[in-house]
Amino acid sequence: MISVAQPLMRTAKKRKLVRNNPETPVILAGVFLCALPIDKLGRLGSYRAMTDPNPKQEFVHGIRDQLPLQLGVIPFGMVFGVLGMASGLTEWQTILMSSIIFGGASQVVFAQLWMAGAAPVIVGSSVTVLNLRHVLYSVTIAKYLCNLSLGWRIILGYLLTDEAFAVSIKRFEQNPVPRHAHYHLLGSGLTLWTFWQISTAVGVWLGTTLPAHLNLDVAIPLTFIAIVAPILRKMPQILAAAASGLVAVFGQSLPWNIWIIAAALAGIVTGAIVERGQDPS
Amino acid sequence: MIWVVMITTGIMTFLMRFSMFSGLINKPLPASFDRYLRYVPIAVLSAIIAASVVIDPATNAPNIGTDRALAAIIAVIVALVTKSVLSTIAIGLSVLWVLQNLV
Repeated sequence: MISVAQPLMRTAKKRKLVRNNPETPVILAGVFLCALPIDKLGRLGSYRAMTDPNPKQEFVHGIRDQLPLQLGVIPFGMVFGVLGMASGLTEWQTILMSSIIFGGASQVVFAQLWMAGAAPVIVGSSVTVLNLRHVLYSVTIAKYLCNLSLGWRIILGYLLTDEAFAVSIKRFEQNPVPRHAHYHLLGSGLTLWTFWQISTAVGVWLGTTLPAHLNLDVAIPLTFIAIVAPILRKMPQILAAAASGLVAVFGQSLPWNIWIIAAALAGIVTGAIVERGQDPS
Repeated sequence: MIWVVMITTGIMTFLMRFSMFSGLINKPLPASFDRYLRYVPIAVLSAIIAASVVIDPATNAPNIGTDRALAAIIAVIVALVTKSVLSTIAIGLSVLWVLQNLV
């Protein structure tokens, strides 16, 4: 009891002393000056650790951020492997499509249209329109990559998928000094690429022994729900998601898969307009 | 023939991903576009989510009463509460399978 009370009393007295003392500003200035170096050192330390990790740390960070999504990517890759074979593609056509196109939904559309006997121009243009959303990813991430060498930009362009973009854009935006942040995208992109190739091959190998009633294709929207739901915190974000979802659902009958880019643009414009309404600065 | 179409499509996809940092467009977007770009991830992913879970694969029409729509709603709640990607996918898929076997 006494041991607790005594320091409290002492503090109270000190406070009173400080408050009544005409030299308070001098004392405060002294305390401030003494505290400054510690604070500055502390901040410098955490500054280094938080915002300027070395390339290897960023790369590992990218892998680590991408790994949980693989719970959704692996089943979807397997679904594509099965579907490719069921569509009449050969093993190699199915497996290599995962490297050549490297986009889940586009590969499914490609295989389905090819099986349905659509003209090559229709197959190519449908997939291309479906992938127009990547231009939005490209423009969003461009300011972080535009100073890299051509080799880097080609590799990161190839790896810029829905999942890699979703995971790495967060890192780019949170990082005030994104000097090595492109290693994050490299790590997350290569992780996704590796799991996508392996799971496609497993799907080809499993073939129709993978039961269709498991509905494993739903793993991808579930993955995106896990990314989007937690960031819907304010009105502009919520309304952007709602607008995009509505256009996506009711725009399904639009030709050439235009629904996806129309929905994306509707969501972007809604979010920006609502945000401007709330904060016109 | 399929190889030609596949490779062409692959090149088109790559060019779209690469386009805005290809160096061909030298001018970066003005900062006023940041307000729009901020909504790119939410808008694109929401479109894919909505089309995948609200469209009933059996009828190709909107239907929020399907097992996959219900599983998605549970997944949204799990994502909001746990903020965990693994839990969201695992619980969402489990709920879907349970619902399918109940009916």
